Amino acid sequence: MGAWLDETLTWGHALLFFLWGVILLLVVLGFVTYAIFFERKVIGWMQYRIGPNRVGPWGLLQSVADITKLLIKEDTIPRKADRALFILAPALAYVPAFAVLAVIPYTQKLYFADINVGLLYYVALSGISTIAIILGGWSSNNKYALLGGMRSAAQMISYEVPLVISVVGVVMLSGSLNLRSIADQQGDWFWQWNFLPQIIGFVVFIIAAVSELNRTPFDLPEAESELVAGYHVEYSGFRFAFFMLTEYVYVYAIAALTTVLFLGGWHAPFPFLDWVPGIIWFLLKFTSIVFFLFWIRATLPRIRIDQLMGLGWKVLLPVAILNVFLTAVYMELFVK
Amino acid sequence: MFNFNFSGEFVAFFVFSVMIISGAVLMVSFTKVVHMVVSLAAVFIGVAGMFILLDAEFLAFVQVLIYAGAVSILMIFGIMMTKHQEAEAERPRTLHDTLTAIGALALFGILFYAIRQSDFPAPPQAADQTVDNTMAIGQALFTGYVVPFELVSVLLTVAFIGAIVLAKKEAD
Repeated sequence: MGAWLDETLTWGHALLFFLWGVILLLVVLGFVTYAIFFERKVIGWMQYRIGPNRVGPWGLLQSVADITKLLIKEDTIPRKADRALFILAPALAYVPAFAVLAVIPYTQKLYFADINVGLLYYVALSGISTIAIILGGWSSNNKYALLGGMRSAAQMISYEVPLVISVVGVVMLSGSLNLRSIADQQGDWFWQWNFLPQIIGFVVFIIAAVSELNRTPFDLPEAESELVAGYHVEYSGFRFAFFMLTEYVYVYAIAALTTVLFLGGWHAPFPFLDWVPGIIWFLLKFTSIVFFLFWIRATLPRIRIDQLMGLGWKVLLPVAILNVFLTAVYMELFVK
Repeated sequence: MFNFNFSGEFVAFFVFSVMIISGAVLMVSFTKVVHMVVSLAAVFIGVAGMFILLDAEFLAFVQVLIYAGAVSILMIFGIMMTKHQEAEAERPRTLHDTLTAIGALALFGILFYAIRQSDFPAPPQAADQTVDNTMAIGQALFTGYVVPFELVSVLLTVAFIGAIVLAKKEAD
């Protein structure tokens, strides 16, 4: 796939790129639909409930029905809202979420873009969604939406810093920002993957990632017991669906990124299991991370806003910096 | 005069130029401050795209991270509490506008003529495209420019601590 990007752009190539984009979009939409269903089922079972089971066999069409409901709902725009920005915000939130998927390598051969600063690309683009969230909150012209937007933005900015610093250790070990070579360099045995040598970085990354995703225990942007609904109070119909879609596409992106950075990407845990195709291993690791996110949502309570900020700045950031320092010392003493 | 081959690079250049120019024009002509910041962010992203076309990916994504991300968010935070009403319309100043338009057109003409007239000599030693330029930047920063780099970080730390002290004083 990489070779086509360098050639002259003909209509054939443009069509091919477009088709691959559409395929990825369909895969992501399918993931989101069934991730929501899976989430509700898993949380239901963990809480001794059954979960959705009415629409379709085993409730499989529940998410489809929900999405259809959202799409055919009346699209309301408050009269005093800032119309242009109100319309722009959901799209601006979704575009970076989908664009970051371009750098995720699934296997040795299956990848979309092979950028040598892939990790930086991911971090930079995901920051743009924060702008969309503040704009959505501000343009609704509603004080609850504004407060929710400010809160989300403060949270996302605070946790982006430890998130980025926690992966610096991985970058130092592999000497590259290219996600493909980072995944490639992790060894054949599972203890050679980055999550054990970089255990501090891994823990910080997971905590910061859950917070970046605005999920329990850090789901303060939509803390239903204290706020109305956060930055998207005034949104309904398909614009609201776009914000939800963004959230779940970031779940996909973070799960894939964790797999690539820390869990060895497409590598089998033992060399003698190499005959199983890499994509299966990738999907297994990816699914277990998604399951982990649902699991902690079902079992953990929500923390307060001051605890959230304290944890981010006073605990995670120093620990992440310490991890960079320890990695540097280790490399100076043993690798050089 | 208009010799180009229709490659992906050309299409991308065209898209990014339109983004930069229209963003800049809208930035000046909008009346609401938040709208201005959004168009400014579009300009930043367009410039980042230009960096990618010039094979400076590291610079491009740092540009997105710092300018389009951090700086824009900071500005939006700063002006979010401003009034939400429409700004009052300025009264038309015909003579002033006409003179400005003539001046801008003349400047464009001069620049365009100068650019078309001059020939750009190839740089004496073209940068090696195969080298990982991110690594090259890192090596340059930590060898040749290590003293300025450390000075900048000390300056930033001082500014950071100063900001905390000022904010603390306000809170007491």
